[in-house]
Amino acid sequence: MVTNIKIDSKEIKQTNSINQVRFGCALGAMYSVAAIPRAIPIAHCGPGCADKQFMALAFYNGFQGGGYSGGAVPPSVNAGEKEVVFGGNERLEELIKASLKVMRGDLFVVLTGCIGELVGDDVGSVVSPFQQRGVPIVYAETGGFKGNNFAGHELVTRAIIDQFVKDYEGKKDELLVNVWSLLPFQNTFWRGDLAELKRILEGIGLKVNILFGFGCKGAEEWKTIPKAKFNLVLSPWLGLETAKHLAEKYNQPFFHYPIVPIGAKETSKFLRAIADFAGLGKERVDEFIRKEEREYYYYLEHFADFYAEYWWGLPAKYAIVGDSAYVLAVSKFLVNQLGLIPARHIITDNPPEQLREFIANEFRILANDVSVEVNFVEDGYLVRKILENSDFGHKPPIIFGTTWERDVAKRLGGYVVEIGFPASYEVVINRTYLGYRGAFALLERIYTSAISASA
Amino acid sequence: MSSIENRKMTTETIKQKINLRVADCETREQRLGTIIGWTGKASELSELSNKARCGGGGRRECALCEIKSPFTQGSVCSEQMVECQAGNVRNAVLVQHSPIGCAAGQPMYNSIYRNGLAIRGLPVENLLITCTNLNESDMIFGAIYKLHQTIQDVYERYKPEAIFISTSCATAIIADDIEGAAAEAQEKFGIPVIPLYCEGFRSKHWSTGFDATQHGILRQIVRKNPAKKQHDLINVINLWGSDVFTPILAELGLRVNYVVDLATVEQLAQLSEAAATVGFCYTLSTYMAAALEQEFGVPEIKAPQPYGFVGTDAWLREIGRVTQRENKVEAYIKREREAIAPRLKELRERLKGVKGYVATGSAYSHGLISVLRELGILVNGSLVFHHDPVYDSGDEREDSLKHLVENYGDVPSFHVSNRQPHQFYGLLKKIKPDFILIRHNGLAPLASRLGIPAAPLGDEHIAIGYRGIVNLGEVVLDVLAHKKFHEDLSEHVTLPYTNWWLEQDDPYILAKHPELIEQ
Repeated sequence: MVTNIKIDSKEIKQTNSINQVRFGCALGAMYSVAAIPRAIPIAHCGPGCADKQFMALAFYNGFQGGGYSGGAVPPSVNAGEKEVVFGGNERLEELIKASLKVMRGDLFVVLTGCIGELVGDDVGSVVSPFQQRGVPIVYAETGGFKGNNFAGHELVTRAIIDQFVKDYEGKKDELLVNVWSLLPFQNTFWRGDLAELKRILEGIGLKVNILFGFGCKGAEEWKTIPKAKFNLVLSPWLGLETAKHLAEKYNQPFFHYPIVPIGAKETSKFLRAIADFAGLGKERVDEFIRKEEREYYYYLEHFADFYAEYWWGLPAKYAIVGDSAYVLAVSKFLVNQLGLIPARHIITDNPPEQLREFIANEFRILANDVSVEVNFVEDGYLVRKILENSDFGHKPPIIFGTTWERDVAKRLGGYVVEIGFPASYEVVINRTYLGYRGAFALLERIYTSAISASA
Repeated sequence: MSSIENRKMTTETIKQKINLRVADCETREQRLGTIIGWTGKASELSELSNKARCGGGGRRECALCEIKSPFTQGSVCSEQMVECQAGNVRNAVLVQHSPIGCAAGQPMYNSIYRNGLAIRGLPVENLLITCTNLNESDMIFGAIYKLHQTIQDVYERYKPEAIFISTSCATAIIADDIEGAAAEAQEKFGIPVIPLYCEGFRSKHWSTGFDATQHGILRQIVRKNPAKKQHDLINVINLWGSDVFTPILAELGLRVNYVVDLATVEQLAQLSEAAATVGFCYTLSTYMAAALEQEFGVPEIKAPQPYGFVGTDAWLREIGRVTQRENKVEAYIKREREAIAPRLKELRERLKGVKGYVATGSAYSHGLISVLRELGILVNGSLVFHHDPVYDSGDEREDSLKHLVENYGDVPSFHVSNRQPHQFYGLLKKIKPDFILIRHNGLAPLASRLGIPAAPLGDEHIAIGYRGIVNLGEVVLDVLAHKKFHEDLSEHVTLPYTNWWLEQDDPYILAKHPELIEQ
């Protein structure tokens, strides 16, 4: 139960304890459902589970809001002693019937919590008669002890594919791609980010199943998943399970690109790589990139005056704490675009053991001349210890992290930019940090924080 | 039997019900006959509650019938209330013995803790709640070893003065011996290590979580045989609200001991030394206040809650009587009434004809409606998340609903609904208020989509006392201005409900006719 993690030359003890939680549980994948327009989660769990996941992922995390089917909206069994002692099958069946009567949805996803799974409810046998009647309903076993909401996300995704999208033998659309990238709601900026991602992919000539958020056409879009020529996994690890499953199920290859691109350099590089994989015509791709870069550097040129000659000092060293996807993405941008100096990289989303070395390697090639070691930690107490024991040199650091880092940033005399869950002191609507356009929002956020605290 | 004798008898019967000898506290439904679904008039609910009390001491054989719907939306659980109380005690740590999902409560209660500390002028810091983070194999082989480890961790890390342990649905089902682990740790570390039984499925209403926390504090932190009494100290059972009790009670030469949130362990320990106990809401304070009186002889102020003129007058006079400060009280009442009169007059003029709606916890709603009516606002409807037919003291003077109905008139559309937005839709459609007052999250988003602004009373003390009447009036003016935003939105959203549901006139139709779901 006790393991040691290596921090520079020191070792610190890591146990099962988690303080300052940085994700939800598997049931938190309710928010992967709520991220699909007009899809409705049905929670087969205790009375507080759905509320906790909501308040954590969608409220005190950028105040994103529940939208159509999140927040206090999702039907929930609200299991009591009766369901624990006698089982919850009947109650779930009743709730599903009532939900179909009351709720207007195109797809219903039943998610089980700890109670139903521990008392042995057979959710499949409750749900399948509805499926046989043609009700668009699926179920996923997402008991909280099964892991975090990243794990839950892949369980839910797979449930929808296997039970709702189902088999497909038809033709593929040569230009259509399914996108598996940031975890909706967990990533505070996913809505804006997915919109920008869709925009740039369409810019180079692809058709995009973005699958979550405003740009998704809902259940109908999910039905077209098997038609896609390939799957894009744009993240260090999340989505790989799904992509492998789809490769088998629909004979779709996948393109795994671990770096969520921020700024012109990374974005253009990413677009060229995916265009190459998809076999797109070079001319259109180059034309789009040229146009985007022209705009990007027009603005960057103006920003340069500030960056070059602002009098009162700007942060030089940074530490970053968060989900693998953003830690890698933001670090790439900070190091390669801005020339900041990395001090510490902490990944908290608990990636699968077998992929950790792969992720760590990405940080060893952060830039031609920059190689860093990354720590995998889930316990916030340890995150703080590591940050306190980091060398930030002669001036206060800038810490990219979460609300949990506010105290340590204050103690170190630096600034915090909340880039991940929980971001309880950020209001986020559709801001993006991704691509060509998102990079500027990130620059604005970083330097407004730094200089507004200066006098 | 005279009514006083009757009252005394009820009190006696109920007193025996708080049992601090065992580690788990009885749920609200067991102790008080709590219900979470009901619809009618406030006056009817008050009468039925009275009958229920007479019939069975307000317990099992309840005359007050609950209606249950086959359709329910997610609610809130007792463990969350433990997080928001035990998890917000300074220099103590709450250990959540649970899978990681329960820990998703941490960001919310951290944000509230930080902002609560800030409005009280205390140093802002993250809370220290720590989860044992159980996985699938722990469910099979037992997880007590992880609890031992986490207790050890938090002790070494923070050197707390007390450690609370919250149970979860999962650990209750696998039946971990939490009490045993706590006793062992208490022995080992020499500080109170307190099991709090609050798994979500245990009670149908989350307020049992308040009681669970208070039960643990009473058993293991409050000084059993205090050497001294603090005759000028008043316990105020509250949450994170701003410090409005100090200026009021200082006028009477009294000091304030705020508990449970933001208190230190020492402030909890001295609960037994105080001269009296008050609260801002009987839903929250009923258990602790009654037990302090029963076990330690600290009198609970048995009076209406301090809302509106009638309630505040009676509340202050009862404090004056219990602490022998009657003269000071009368002078203070006179001064305060005069001080707020001019602004109150203006507010009443500006708020004439405005329609309000209150959707909050139970006793709190009773208080807020009286304040709105003092302001001349029409309140024809209210939704409360649960209803307790009686509070733990059993004393009639604490009957907040009866106080409301007798002094401020009936509320014709009065509903008990455990945070169910689908029902709230029908209620708002009928009443069409200009604004709503809310406290818990979950209902304001629905109101917003109907074009109705909500004032979230994050600072629960805002409406307390005479100044509270004026404060709430100002809040209402501010929120009425928001109407533009919500009206605009309401024209551009689709609700997630079927036309069938949206056309229903009775929000309780499915509770009354559950067979409709078969059609």
